[in-house]
Parts: sequence; structure tokens; C-alpha cells
Amino acid sequence: MTSGPMRAKAEPRGIERLVGFGRMLRARGLPVGTGRILAFCNAVAALDHLDRDGLYLAGRLTMVARKEDFDAYDEAFEQWLPSERERLLSELAGWQQDARVEEREVEVLVGEADSERDSDAGEGEGEEEEVTIGLVASGTEVLRAKSFEELSEVERHEADMAIRALAVALPLRRVRRYRAAPRGHRFDLRRTVRASLRTQGEPFHRAWRDRRSKRRPLVLLLDVSGSMSSYSRALLQFGYAAVRAGQRVEVFAFGTRLTRLTRALRRSEPDAALRQVAASVLDWEGGTRIGGSLKQLLDRYGQQAWMRGAVVVLCSDGLERGDPLVLAAQMARLGRVAHRLVWVNPLKGSPRYQPLARGMAAALPHVDAFLPGHNLQSLEALCEVLSA
Amino acid sequence: MGALPFESVEELQAVLGRHAYLADRGLATAVWLSLALNKPLLLEGEAGVGKTEVAKVLSALLDRSLVRLQCYEGIDASQALYEWDYSRQLIAVRAAQLGEHEADLFGPDFLVERPLLAAIRAGSRAVLLIDELDRADDEFEAFLLEVLSEFAVTIPEIGRVAAEQPPAVIITSNRTRELHDALKRRCLYHWIDHPSIDREVQIVRVRAPEVPEVLARQVARAVARLRAMDVAKRPGVAETIDWSQALAFLGAEQLEPDAASATLGALLKDHEDLELVRAKLDEVLESE
Repeated sequence: MTSGPMRAKAEPRGIERLVGFGRMLRARGLPVGTGRILAFCNAVAALDHLDRDGLYLAGRLTMVARKEDFDAYDEAFEQWLPSERERLLSELAGWQQDARVEEREVEVLVGEADSERDSDAGEGEGEEEEVTIGLVASGTEVLRAKSFEELSEVERHEADMAIRALAVALPLRRVRRYRAAPRGHRFDLRRTVRASLRTQGEPFHRAWRDRRSKRRPLVLLLDVSGSMSSYSRALLQFGYAAVRAGQRVEVFAFGTRLTRLTRALRRSEPDAALRQVAASVLDWEGGTRIGGSLKQLLDRYGQQAWMRGAVVVLCSDGLERGDPLVLAAQMARLGRVAHRLVWVNPLKGSPRYQPLARGMAAALPHVDAFLPGHNLQSLEALCEVLSA
Repeated sequence: MGALPFESVEELQAVLGRHAYLADRGLATAVWLSLALNKPLLLEGEAGVGKTEVAKVLSALLDRSLVRLQCYEGIDASQALYEWDYSRQLIAVRAAQLGEHEADLFGPDFLVERPLLAAIRAGSRAVLLIDELDRADDEFEAFLLEVLSEFAVTIPEIGRVAAEQPPAVIITSNRTRELHDALKRRCLYHWIDHPSIDREVQIVRVRAPEVPEVLARQVARAVARLRAMDVAKRPGVAETIDWSQALAFLGAEQLEPDAASATLGALLKDHEDLELVRAKLDEVLESE
């Protein structure tokens, strides 16, 4: 690859190949801009020797910025550098000999490809595209109003994504302890005097103390009995969104007894966490004993810091198999411990619903908010109630 | 391209190894390209996989000084970049009042240098470690982006301070939150995984030579099994080393259930995890 004319010929091809890979990633939905493609070209030029692994790493280092995107990248790379790789590698090696990566050139190459695509689309395909966009948009509207139970597998995935994107903000609570603050309500004599020593006793710097605020914890109690599983699943996504937002979240599932799911949810991979949740709940789709489960919760965790003053969201249809009196008593207990008690009942999504079931009727007086939570729209409403 | 003191990625990998850091090819390539392209290297990965260590080793092997900026909630520019030494200024004012010589109150004498300014001034003689950036807030990230793109700051009273050659920059994040795209775009991104069993054995042997080979292998295997279990906090390499050392200190030649159970606290720091693993200890220790 060292002879002059060959190199001159190989040079443009090499960079075109690299830019092509960048565009391919972009086409697959990875956020790869011209800057990243440029960095990729530079990285390949800087590699000490060119092989498959080196190319793979150079691309991943420069064009992928999230671990979650690694799989998509691997797939694309496999496609880009298939069996013919020897030829491509030697082509690139020739180019690399004295690679010159000009920002302009990369921009032009990226741009050319884009305009090619645009002009392709201009001939008849443009309209079609528009129609598809319209469909997607209205599709989201439909999705928002559709009950979780009626979702197809694909829609459910979409809904999960939408739920995870919800901004869950919990109300603030003032912490009792005072601490040093740049501005505050209490004069901090100690720090002021200490600071004044350095200025020959002149209290030039006045220090203050103030009380801080903290977000309240969120406790999710999810009914996993037969009719409720698809709704509970959606709320679990909701819990996941809250965890990712850095909130203190505890999650429990209950059917006939209580299972703590918090640990599984803390895992970084949401889908793996959900599978584990499913595996760890022993009584998926059995009968429901809400009162007993609540008693278990309060006996075991009632004194925990994250339970006192928490925002508690209970998701259940309220069809209690146990004694409604027990449920009422436990709801009263829970109401005293929690800051706010929200009951999410998917049955309320139906306009004809009335809370007549004995369990539901017994629980209602202790509930601060009663919401449907059966579709995306109502989960958005839940978000608003939570932050109030 | 900056002149590198290494011939190849392989050589860099070997040099890292000589400094007791066993990097795989991915990480070595990341460091190589980061130095060659003068781009900050953003390292993510679970706690204890050796993200911070990369910067320390790099500063040692490049013979550059390590400038460390530890991020925390609420960190701001005055803690990261520079601040005026107000009390010294006050004293100087008094001295001036007493008729002594007049000092330039906003001259370099009164400037308190913080890590970022120190790194900019040192330029290519420094390795800048920005540790646990995910702990700082968004505003700080935006500010950092500005500094990282220019490697220059303007101090109104003094003027512009710019690095002739930018320092090597390593940024680490534990992913308690997602960093901004704009910042990521400036960086090379690498995810450090837990090492393979073989590599972890090597790491233990390098870092804790007093641990017998047999024990190190059994420990690494047990830790790998344990990471696959449902533990809330997966132990990192640092914990593996701690555990091996604890076992070796107690005179263990092999991984026995009693000693393992007694020293498990070196590996797992969560009560529920401890309970879970103690209950399944046989499974974890099972020899192949």
C-alpha cells in the first residue's frame, strides 16, 4: 500500500467508508452527528495498527455514549464489516498511511448523503412519509387513552417508554436540622467568629445557617392479582422512572402476602429488573388480601424513615377477600404514617364505576386521592397529584 | 496528534501493567486515543471497577502531576476554578492603611487556585481527573463543558489564562444520573465492565501478592458467581482484593466456608445482601 498512485486512489475511498459507517449508525437511530463522525475518522487515523478490534473500539469510543447503545452498535458494526473485511481493512490501511481528516470534507460527505436521501424522498415518497408521521402522532394519542390491559405487545413497549419518560417530582419536606448555608435565617456565630480571626477580628464575613428541604420518599404498593397485573406492571415502570430520577422509592407487591421488590428495581437494567420482579413474586394472580398485606407492611416497615412522611401509592381494584374491617383499620394506620395516601384503581377508568365493593368502600375514607391510573393519560394525572 | 511516549496500544497496555494496572485492549485503546486525539475520556462503570485508578496510573506513567477535582452536590465554579483570598486582601488593605506598601489586591498573589485552574496552567504537564461528575448538578456540567472545550478561562482582573497544550482529562461517572449529550460529545466514551475471572485473578495477584494463587482463583470464581446473583450492590474489584487480603491475613490457603462467612463483610456492605449470600454460601463457594 505504499506506492503513490495507489494511495492517492485509496485515500478518498477510506474516508468515504468511515463516514458511511457513521451514517449507518445514524440511520439506525443512534445520535451520531457530524462531530462524532469526524472524531471517528480522526480516531481511525490515530490507531497504531488497524484491525477489526481496533476499528470496532475506535467507532464505539467516539460514536456511542451510552452503554445501552452498545448492542445496537455491535449489530451495525457486524453488518458494516462482514466477511469482506480483508478488503476494507487493506483499503483503510492504505488511506491511513497519511490520513488527512478535514472537517470540511467530512461535513460535505455527510451532507451529500443527506441530500441524496432527501431527493430520493422527493419523488413520491415524501407524501407517504408525511402520512406515516401523522399516523404515529395520532397513534400516540390513541395510546395515551387506551387501557393498559388492551395494549398489544408493541404498544405496551411504547407505553413503557412513555411512562419512563414521565417526570416524577415528589413534594419537599423541610428537614429539622440546621446546617451551614450561604443565605439563611439564623446567624451562625461560630463560623462568623472563626472567619473573623483571619481578618484580625473584623467580622467581615457573616455566616448563616438554614434548614434544608428534602424530597419525600415514594412507596408503591402494587396488587399483582390476576385482573391487576397489566396495570401493576405499568406502575412498576412508573416506579422505575422515579428511581431513575433519583428519588427514594420503595416498591412492594402484594397478592395474598407482601413481597419487597425495591432491590430488584435498583438494578440498572429495567427489563432485567422486571423479569426478576416477576420471578420473585410468588403469588402472581392469586386472590387478594389487601388488609393482611398492609398489616405486614406496617408491622415490618412502619417505623422506617422512608415510610414515615412518604407519599404512598396503592394500586388495586379493591376487591378484598379478607375482612373489610381489617382493611379499614390498616388503611387508617397507613394514613397516619404516610404524608399522602393515593389509591389508584383502574376500574375507576370506566365511567359507570362506583366504589361499592366492600373493601374499597372501607378504604376510601382514609384515602387522600382516588385516581384511575388505567392508561397513560391517567398516569400523567397521577404525576401531578404526587407533586402537589 | 500529540507525541505519545508509546509505540502502540500494546505497549501502552504493557506499561499500564507494569504500573500494576491490568487493562484490557478496550481500555488501553481508549486511553491511547484519548491521548492521541486530545479528547477527554469519559469512563463509566459500576463502583469499584477501577475508573479513578486509571487517572492515577496514567499520571504516574506519563510522569505528570495528577490534578483531581472531586465532584459533589452543589459544587460551583469558585470551588472548582479559582477564588480570591478575601482575608488576605483585608489584611493587605489594613497594611495599606497603615502606610505600608500598596499591594495589587487582585493580583496573582491573592488568587486561590482550584483544580481546574491548576490543570489549565499546568497544561500538558498534568492529568486532570474529574471524579464522579454525576454527583455534581446540571449547571456545573454546563460550566465544565465550557472549560473543557476551550481550556482557557478569563479572570476579569487578571486576564485570560489558557493552556498551551490541554492536559489529559479523565472523567468518571457512576451513572447515578445520565450526563448531558453536549458533554459526552466532547469525550471518548468507555464502559469498564467487571473483569473476567482470569483477569481478576491476575489483578488480585498483582495488587495483593501475599494472596496464594489457589485462593485468588477461588475468590475470583466465587465473586463472579456472586455478581450474577440478585445482590443489590455488586462487589467491585476493590472489594475482591479486600476479601482476598482478609482471607490471606487469616492464614487461609483455600476458600473454606467458615472463613468465607466470617470475612464476607469485606465483600458485601449491605445487610440484606449478606443474609442472601450467607444462605446460599455453598452455591457460591462450589468448586468446579
